Amino acid sequence: MSEIRGIDPRGPRFAAAIMSVLLAVTVVLGLAGLSTATVDAIGWRAYQPLASSTFPPGAAALPAAHLAARIADPGFLVLLAVALLFLWGVAWPMSAPWGLVYRRLVQPRLRPAADLEDPRPPRFAQGVGLAVSTLGLVLHAAGVPWALPIAAAAAFVAAFLNAVFGFCLGCRIYLLLQRAGLAGRARRA
Amino acid sequence: MSASLAVLVVIALVGATLLTGWLLRRRDGRARAVRDVDVRPLLVDPGARGERATLVQFSTDMCARCPQVRRTLAAIAAQSDGVRFAEIDLTHRPDLAQRLHILQTPTVFVLDRDAFVRTRFTGVPAAPAVTAALHRVTGDAARV
Repeated sequence: MSEIRGIDPRGPRFAAAIMSVLLAVTVVLGLAGLSTATVDAIGWRAYQPLASSTFPPGAAALPAAHLAARIADPGFLVLLAVALLFLWGVAWPMSAPWGLVYRRLVQPRLRPAADLEDPRPPRFAQGVGLAVSTLGLVLHAAGVPWALPIAAAAAFVAAFLNAVFGFCLGCRIYLLLQRAGLAGRARRA
Repeated sequence: MSASLAVLVVIALVGATLLTGWLLRRRDGRARAVRDVDVRPLLVDPGARGERATLVQFSTDMCARCPQVRRTLAAIAAQSDGVRFAEIDLTHRPDLAQRLHILQTPTVFVLDRDAFVRTRFTGVPAAPAVTAALHRVTGDAARV
């Protein structure tokens, strides 16, 4: 394993704390929004149902809603912002906003880090967060009820565990992907 | 779903996640004695084995907590006679992860002089726990 110049491990945890707040907000908005709404719920007309649709009572409103209404759902918009932040963290980790906030405002007020950490695992975990939130966005846009809050809840659990306990679930997934033959390198001769 | 019910669900989610994290932390780094006499000697290069015991750490390139464990184990091995430290990067050995049932990194094995696995730690082991496991293997209770 090659040694790469380490990063302060508190930086990714700080970012995870902010992301977990955003994701908790996403879950609330997703649960209260179009994703779980039924056609008989009050105010469903706001979701611009397709003219050709029929609505049995209790049926999910999302599949009947226009794509524009699905995308305008507040939960979708916040999760889109979260996904873009994850993408930023994967593609350009040095300029990712929460990392900058941490290095400019938080780190100078703390004691120096006792241990520096390899930057690759948190970056990989950001990629897992990006994949999960993208899946939620795509399924929601395709009209699958409950997909958005469930995806946001899964990402929330990972981010919150990282922020509070320092557990990197995304990093653990790496070994599982590897065992399944989906990640990593083949055996060296 | 009403907004107030959605908030309640998220509060429950936060509680469940805290409970999960607490359970994970309690289980992390716990030692498990391997009693199975059928465990074949682990294939560590004999030249890398210690005379009395070997600490084997399994890592990957995407393991946030492996470097700290590497430092801890290397220091323990350096202080103990006949004990060596070896690290196996599973990034290059997915077959080993399968065969040894390793589900997370870091995982640490304590091998005896004949390279049988005697203790396994899943997660970050505490240094005293590693030392205690080494003493069980080497039969040397006096050393601290």
